[in-house]
Amino acid sequence: MGLFFNPFNNLICILLGISLTVWFTMLLVFIIVPAIFGVSFGIRRLYMKTLLKVFKWATLRLERGAKEKNHLLYKPYSNAIIAREPTSLEEEIKEIRRSGSNRDLNSASEFEMSDIFYFARRGVESIMDDEVTKRFSAEELQSWNLLTRSNYNFHYISLRLTVLWGLGLLIRYGFLLPLRVTLAFTGVGLLVFLTSIVGLLPNGRVKNYLSEKVHLMCYRICVRALTAIITYHDSENKPKNGGICVANHTSPIDVIILASDGCYAMVGQIHRGLMGVIQRSMVKACPHIWFERSEVKDRHLVAKRLSDHAEDKSKLPILIFPEGTCINNTSVMMFKKGSFEIEAKVYPVAIKYDPRFGDAFWNSSKYGMVSYLLRMMSSWAIVCSVWYLPPMFREEGEDAVQFANRVKAAIARQGGLVDLLWDGGLKRGKVKDTFKEEQQKLYSKILVGAQEDRSRS
Amino acid sequence: MGASQTRTEDVFQELSDKTGFSLEQIRILHRRFRQLSGDEDTISKENLEKIQALDKNPIRNQIIEAFFDKRNQNDGEVGSSREIGFQQFVKVMCHFKPPTLKMTTEDKEAMRREKLRFLFNMHDTDNDGTITLDEYRKVVEELLSKSGAIGLEAAKAIADAAMLEVASINVPHMEPHEFYEGITFEHFEQILKGLEMESRMNIRFLDVDTSTMHCGKSQ
Repeated sequence: MGLFFNPFNNLICILLGISLTVWFTMLLVFIIVPAIFGVSFGIRRLYMKTLLKVFKWATLRLERGAKEKNHLLYKPYSNAIIAREPTSLEEEIKEIRRSGSNRDLNSASEFEMSDIFYFARRGVESIMDDEVTKRFSAEELQSWNLLTRSNYNFHYISLRLTVLWGLGLLIRYGFLLPLRVTLAFTGVGLLVFLTSIVGLLPNGRVKNYLSEKVHLMCYRICVRALTAIITYHDSENKPKNGGICVANHTSPIDVIILASDGCYAMVGQIHRGLMGVIQRSMVKACPHIWFERSEVKDRHLVAKRLSDHAEDKSKLPILIFPEGTCINNTSVMMFKKGSFEIEAKVYPVAIKYDPRFGDAFWNSSKYGMVSYLLRMMSSWAIVCSVWYLPPMFREEGEDAVQFANRVKAAIARQGGLVDLLWDGGLKRGKVKDTFKEEQQKLYSKILVGAQEDRSRS
Repeated sequence: MGASQTRTEDVFQELSDKTGFSLEQIRILHRRFRQLSGDEDTISKENLEKIQALDKNPIRNQIIEAFFDKRNQNDGEVGSSREIGFQQFVKVMCHFKPPTLKMTTEDKEAMRREKLRFLFNMHDTDNDGTITLDEYRKVVEELLSKSGAIGLEAAKAIADAAMLEVASINVPHMEPHEFYEGITFEHFEQILKGLEMESRMNIRFLDVDTSTMHCGKSQ
């Protein structure tokens, strides 16, 4: 019995108690309170700058290591200089011609002066950026961000670099990860709790105001839980009530990034489990659009509910990701037209992540949600840019598909992403042209083939 | 290190101001330039001809020629240089910049005209300000296969038909003794008037300029 009251034990308890208190106070002061009021101390920006310096140093060490052994460093994918469009010759020429005059789509048959655009651009693209010349260049390596998941040059790591990497590992898993997980739980917990409380109030201006504050606060905490460093451009174009906000989709984090800067009505399927709990409590505070699984198939029902919501000017703007799936943030795939059939203003938003700090793309076939979130929380930071584009309307005589393409082009252009004509669900075929004559033959076939059709009919 | 680096930075800054590319894009272009030139200060035609990806382009020669064409440098000279330096390289690249959302209509018009001019120069090889039938025929022949589905005769026919269409659009009432000399730049502009060039003749440079990023809202 006497051994139980060991003074050493007491000391440890006291120390533990003190450090925990300090930890939580710092958390509260530096992270949660600013999140509540929407201010920023600039800590994350400083962090980002420091990280960039460290990465540069690490890269130099790698290069030096490689030079000593007289090898060339393997660059698995270097930062491409330009965005290339892998559309085929036929599709591109159709696009060019369609935009030029009011002819129908099947006019890829005659020679036009504008066809030369395609070849001129491809030619200059090849000069700018070609695979072969780039692969083994002995110059500045794409910077290594101290994550083993993005390094392929293991044999050039010196002792110093290993130590640094080990330190990084310790910091990320030992310090950052628990911190972020705590914050995430806090954020989500507060969201559920506070929205339920706000839901008890009668409908009115007070409720809307409080709901807005609560949502923003919790999303800001979540943003800090991911150490996301976001830059918002052109905030004067932020979506307003009664409109539809449309954005390109890279990861589930997109929702948090957008929702921490403004209030939106989300659209989605009701899930079970934790997600379901969150969804149900959110809808108590302000109207979101959640569908049962069976309702999702019924397109008319979906369209009706969306337009009902959009017509009511007192309700928040709807947030939709029309690509339907997560894309790897180098391109924008075909937008599904459903969201563009509704009569409402469309506010396009472009989101672009900085790949230097980690790949935010969620490959849902490779990683489940939980392992994805863990990956995100154990990387250094998530740096991205959000551009709010001016609102667009569907014009006279434009159908939903054309409108969708127009919006898509605007988003792709702003974010520096490639504007692809393809459905995200289709597989990409390889364009097999290898020689100049192949291209020539293809082009001439397009012209001749149609002529034959015409002479036959 | 030291002095020479700051001098290069100044040159880059000057280029960035003149051409409208960002500093980061100019640095990336410079890297590419060094790659292509084999670490020299100038690029010659042989350097560009070595690019394999360019081999599959039917108008490869015209494109390479365009880089060395003094008309694309916009300083009033004509003719063709044998070698170009980095500044000239960047100036040619300027023709493929996408328009930004903040440009005024006049700026957009000017940019569009520059791009059309670039293409016009590609056709007009003898620098006389018009694209004659022969010059146009040559481009069409390059685009179509010499040994494939369309023979030389067919290529000629297509070129003739295209010229006829151009003539009928631009000079609708031609007297029988008149002779259509060639497509002038104004006619060229007229033909391609409705064409949406802004997204066609662009090369989107990938860069996320993180130096301007900061937490919270931007100004």
